[in-house]
Amino acid sequence: MKQLSSLLKISVSLIFLFLQMTASGGIPYGIQAGAGEAGMGYACVVKEGFWSSFHNQALLPFNNTAQFAVNYENRFGIKELGTSTAGAIIPVGKASVGAVYSHFGYTDFKRDIAGLACGVKLSEKIAAGVQIDYFTERTSGEYNTHRFVSFEAGLIAMPADNIRVGCHLFNPLPNSLRKNNQPVSLSVGAGIDLSNILFAGAEAEMSSGSNLTLRTGFEYEAVKNLRLRAGFSTRNNSFCFGTGYEIGFVTMDLGFTTHDRLGVTSSVSFIFKIK
Amino acid sequence: MIIPFASITGTETTIPDAVRIRHLVITNLSYKTGGDDSASLGSALKMLTKYKFLAGSFTGGLIFEKDQGEKFFSPGTMSPDFISANIAYTGKGLVRRVILGDYSVRFGQGLNLNTGISTGLSLTSQGYMSATNEIKPYTSTDENIFFRGIATQLAIKNADISLFCSRNNIDATIGTENGNSGDYIGSFYKSGSHNTLSLLQKRDAVSESVYGINLSYNFRIISIGIAWSENRFSLPAMPDYNTPEKIFSFRGRTNNVASFYYTSLIKKILLFGEVSANDIKKHAIVQGMSFRPSDRLIINFQYWKYAPGYTSFHGKGPGGSSGSYSEQSLLGNFTFEAARHLFIRGGCYIQHFPWLKYRCSSPSTGVKRELGFKYMPGEKLVFDWLYSYRYSMADNSTTAGIPALKKTISRSLKMVSRYSVYNNLTLGTRIDYKIIDPSGSKGVQLLQDISFRPENVPVTFWLRYCIFRTDDWDSRIYSWENDLLYTYSIPAMYGKGSRFYIMAGWKISGKAELRFKYGVLSESETTGLITDTEEFRLQLKIFI
Repeated sequence: MKQLSSLLKISVSLIFLFLQMTASGGIPYGIQAGAGEAGMGYACVVKEGFWSSFHNQALLPFNNTAQFAVNYENRFGIKELGTSTAGAIIPVGKASVGAVYSHFGYTDFKRDIAGLACGVKLSEKIAAGVQIDYFTERTSGEYNTHRFVSFEAGLIAMPADNIRVGCHLFNPLPNSLRKNNQPVSLSVGAGIDLSNILFAGAEAEMSSGSNLTLRTGFEYEAVKNLRLRAGFSTRNNSFCFGTGYEIGFVTMDLGFTTHDRLGVTSSVSFIFKIK
Repeated sequence: MIIPFASITGTETTIPDAVRIRHLVITNLSYKTGGDDSASLGSALKMLTKYKFLAGSFTGGLIFEKDQGEKFFSPGTMSPDFISANIAYTGKGLVRRVILGDYSVRFGQGLNLNTGISTGLSLTSQGYMSATNEIKPYTSTDENIFFRGIATQLAIKNADISLFCSRNNIDATIGTENGNSGDYIGSFYKSGSHNTLSLLQKRDAVSESVYGINLSYNFRIISIGIAWSENRFSLPAMPDYNTPEKIFSFRGRTNNVASFYYTSLIKKILLFGEVSANDIKKHAIVQGMSFRPSDRLIINFQYWKYAPGYTSFHGKGPGGSSGSYSEQSLLGNFTFEAARHLFIRGGCYIQHFPWLKYRCSSPSTGVKRELGFKYMPGEKLVFDWLYSYRYSMADNSTTAGIPALKKTISRSLKMVSRYSVYNNLTLGTRIDYKIIDPSGSKGVQLLQDISFRPENVPVTFWLRYCIFRTDDWDSRIYSWENDLLYTYSIPAMYGKGSRFYIMAGWKISGKAELRFKYGVLSESETTGLITDTEEFRLQLKIFI
């Protein structure tokens, strides 16, 4: 029984170790979702899109139709490290509201994240958004269940019709209020629509206790409704690529991100437009 | 370049029968958590109040200050820890200025006399010439550098004469030689903080008398001047000569300094310089040149040398306080508009210290270089990149005996972009990267600034969020912050953590302004715990 307990501790420790090694270099404790975003190396702080709207809530009002979506990330091909995510966005005038839920883990370790978000266009050149997050970490055995609430917020500015700059802040509460040691993260980036079929973006992200991560990626519409994506993240020297195809009200995306030591993480997502 | 030769005068106006009196009051309150030290005599609250009145040709000022940990009233007295006051007359005829009370003085390049605040040398400044000669009412809070007494400035055609006389008590560590207390000055204490009993004993421990004269004359293409000053202390200064670093430090009661300075504009070349010597025949020299071969190019050079043994207690030449330690330095830089909206700037600063100094037990050298690019594609968008290189020496404390000097090279890259979305909304992003050789320690920082002024509301908000990570103190990163009016804040970020502040400024009916700043510095300890240091600052400015 004692040996089993030790094995459990080791396995949980390994899980925590893997959790720090995010496949692409996103916010370690934030919601990592979107195969399209994964294909661009998560250089999506200013890129319009369903899942991008949960990476920077200021992008929410750029969703003109109600949508819901599901996503599955298979990290390094290990099923215990898989993450399932579902979300929905509903436009309300100049604003949009969104909800997202993410589940990670297996029997002995689970992490659930739920978020409620709202984004609004403040003017022709400015949009802002905020999301309230509720985190739960459950571990079997003698470990406690860990719960906390935090928030994240973002801002988008448009210097020109085809250029956007933006920033996103995750978990910025002072330690005296949040009572947890989860990292704070700041992302700053810019993106440009080089033509109707080509978008390129770059961003810098830093989490407390971590080094600066630089990311860049592009999305190219090779033929109508078929998009090719690629990107690079300096964290773990991660090359990323992916594709997406839109059929009627459904968009299907596939994304692959590499890790310099741990292999490939694949993602798939389906986005459904309601009207 | 022409600033020293330009004088701005107001238009002649009819003086009203009754001169209107205007009042300016500024009060600052600052509090930082974690500052409640049990050894401190007073509270952790820092307080500063400045009052100034203007009545025609007369002005007056009063300053009270209490530093963190000090008692508001000095023990045994009913006066604040620091109090300063003055009254001044400014005229246009023979008598240009008379000041009674506390004042500051600057002549020439500052080798002999310069009691202003030194902001350090920027390698990419567009010029290095000191501003014009002046005596002015003291408005700062440094508790030891100012003069207290009377000063006057007279002008006759192109000639200018300044006379001043001061007697002030300054802080010092007093030593004993024959068992009696108060025999000699062991060292001067300049920080101004008196928050413990031992520091309180240094307060106003020595009386300093200073008097001097400055004569200057403007010729057609050259302006020249001479200045002389004498310091007298109530006790002799006797630094510890067993410490080699202090062998050339000032010894005695009296120090005389005389200097000659000039400024000349010859076509597109501005020349300026000063030579100064004290009564033990030790000298200091400053020579500078500013050259503008075209409207798009400015080149500057400056050389200075402070010989060992040269001391000026109220001088402040380039590179630091004159005479704090001997130094021989050369600085050069340029600013070039390479293309439309594109500016390139660079500079190099070579220092040689022929004698020992703080943390250097042997003669040492230092080099700084900078290269920057600034691109402004429009009025609303600015990109600014700056690469800095710094070579320095310091004692290697791990070696036995006389410490060998450890050479350290620091390279840093700063990238700033600033975008004004609207006139009332500006976004700023900055990335810093620093690497230290040979230790290999690194520092990186990402920060986001937002300043916002809502329409129809006289309130401006400044926000910053910054995340940093440095391996040690050597790879620390400095970040200038918006702060209360007439103050500044440039904290050093090191370790792992984040920094956030929000500041609001409310302009109340054009006659008052209220500013409030709240900041948090979150730092990760080696144990993984995060500690927060919170900071509150409040300022009220009234101008009626």
